[in-house]
Amino acid sequence: MSGPLLLSVESSCDETGIALVEGGRRIVSNVVASQVALHAPSGGIVPEVAARAHLRWIVPVLDEAWDGAGVGWRDVDGIAVTYGPGLAGSLLVGINFAKALAWVHDKPLIAVNHLEGHVYAGWLLDPGEDESSRQEPLFPMVALVVSGGHTFLAEMQDHLTYRLLGTTVDDAAGEAFDKVGRMLGLGYPGGPAIQAAAERAVRRDVRFPRAWMGDSYDWSFSGLKTAARRIVAAARADEGLPDDDPDARLSDEATAELAWGFQDSVVDVLATKTARAAREIGARSILLGGGVAANAALRQRMAAEADALGSPLIVPRPGLCTDNGAMIGAAGARRLLAGERAALDLDARPSLPLAKR
Amino acid sequence: MSADLKPEMILAIDTATTRVVVALGTGEGSVARSTSWEAGYRHGETLLPAIERILGQEGVARSVLAGIVVGTGPGAFTGLRVGLATAKGLAHGLGIPLVGLSTAEALLSADGAPGAVLLLPAGPSDRILVRPGEEPSLLRGGIEPELRDGESLVAVDLVDRAPPDALTRGEAARAGLGAALLRSGVPRLSSALTQGTVGLAALVPEYITLPRGARAGSGTVAWSRDLR
Ligand SMILES: [Zn+2]
Repeated sequence: MSGPLLLSVESSCDETGIALVEGGRRIVSNVVASQVALHAPSGGIVPEVAARAHLRWIVPVLDEAWDGAGVGWRDVDGIAVTYGPGLAGSLLVGINFAKALAWVHDKPLIAVNHLEGHVYAGWLLDPGEDESSRQEPLFPMVALVVSGGHTFLAEMQDHLTYRLLGTTVDDAAGEAFDKVGRMLGLGYPGGPAIQAAAERAVRRDVRFPRAWMGDSYDWSFSGLKTAARRIVAAARADEGLPDDDPDARLSDEATAELAWGFQDSVVDVLATKTARAAREIGARSILLGGGVAANAALRQRMAAEADALGSPLIVPRPGLCTDNGAMIGAAGARRLLAGERAALDLDARPSLPLAKR
Repeated sequence: MSADLKPEMILAIDTATTRVVVALGTGEGSVARSTSWEAGYRHGETLLPAIERILGQEGVARSVLAGIVVGTGPGAFTGLRVGLATAKGLAHGLGIPLVGLSTAEALLSADGAPGAVLLLPAGPSDRILVRPGEEPSLLRGGIEPELRDGESLVAVDLVDRAPPDALTRGEAARAGLGAALLRSGVPRLSSALTQGTVGLAALVPEYITLPRGARAGSGTVAWSRDLR
């Protein structure tokens, strides 16, 4: 593999990630400190706690990324950093740390959009992984990125060019997983817990509503959330459980069926619209990214849709779907090769969009 | 300072208040150049360009910096994150020690008067009171500080929320903040060097009130060296 070697820094939400990536594809080293356990007691991310944890862990994560990487600063061609979207305080830690490193080591600084990072995770190869064994994304392409903070569908005719096809008009899909996970007493984060519960479902006949939003590629999950509250309350009443006692939990059987029904609804609207968009633009590949792309049901359904269309589905392995530094290095390499450089006054852009419609 | 620090230029940074302070000092702790500017909440855009400019003006190459002193607050979250993240990146990149000092203690030391107590903002309505060597105390909105005999107020970032004479003293103290950080930071840098403890990781901002939603000692982070 050839191409620039980037050190990349990601701190937009609750993972501190630093990676070394070669040529925008090959992972040399990828270290992530996740704060999930830190935020679990409050059932969601506490921005100020997140920023402080980034400050606490960013140096150890950098040291760990270098450890055993077999390369040094002299080999590095640039430093890529996420500058948005995300939590302002969290972004600031990574940005200012990266700027200081770029200045001290006299390396170009590259500002990367976090959402673009999720897309470019589709190009990553693990150390030692055979390049020919992994399909490279082909243009034109549709990319679906689904996470706790974002849900969008974009068309890519070429590298770094995006046309936004659809997005959520209210909650992100991952947020819906968190909220329904909490309703079912499954804890935080909701995504993995709901997937695990859904896998134990037997009857698989609970029907949650789907908001199709007409012909648009947009999604809405707030109605689903309201419906979930009603369906969970009805199931609790069936089992004679009091409304107001969270310790009185639904039976495992009912929890599994409800988790399955909810997950099936989310997967259905995401996959159906993505497949329709792929058909409409004649996509030669379909790319899936973001934390919710780690969901096995979504991966299976998208694989079936892609199969029917005859276009390859590209999904990073679960560890590269959730936030990490390597994906920022993958996108950053493209931006570096396109001649982009960020200045030392780079600041956080908490609501940076990926693209306009 | 000991002969360990050559050629003995020390950088001091403080971003805990609305004015960013950057000072360049000698290994003896005296100030070579100090500057400050109103940053509001945009510390991140201006800090590193200013450091670059100041080193340029003094003809100091970044590679000759021998240590960094950074103010750890208490103060505004936004500014503190920028200052600490920048200081950690610089210290790590240059392989030099970094020490964190209380911004409040440094401001009191800059004021220098016996009995001085510091009043700082804590959000839009609360304030905090800092006595030298004591735990800061939080004053909820509208609560006036009870001063002990011989005490007098120094106030920073509290226009219209503190007496005018306290604010005047606050401005003067802040003008001396760079010098105060260098004065107390340089001996600490020397001992950090001799003990071989750089302590880059552990340095986090000082908060008087725990951020909303935080619980003391709640959880930790999980590591993954994400290689299959
Ligand atoms: Zn993300």
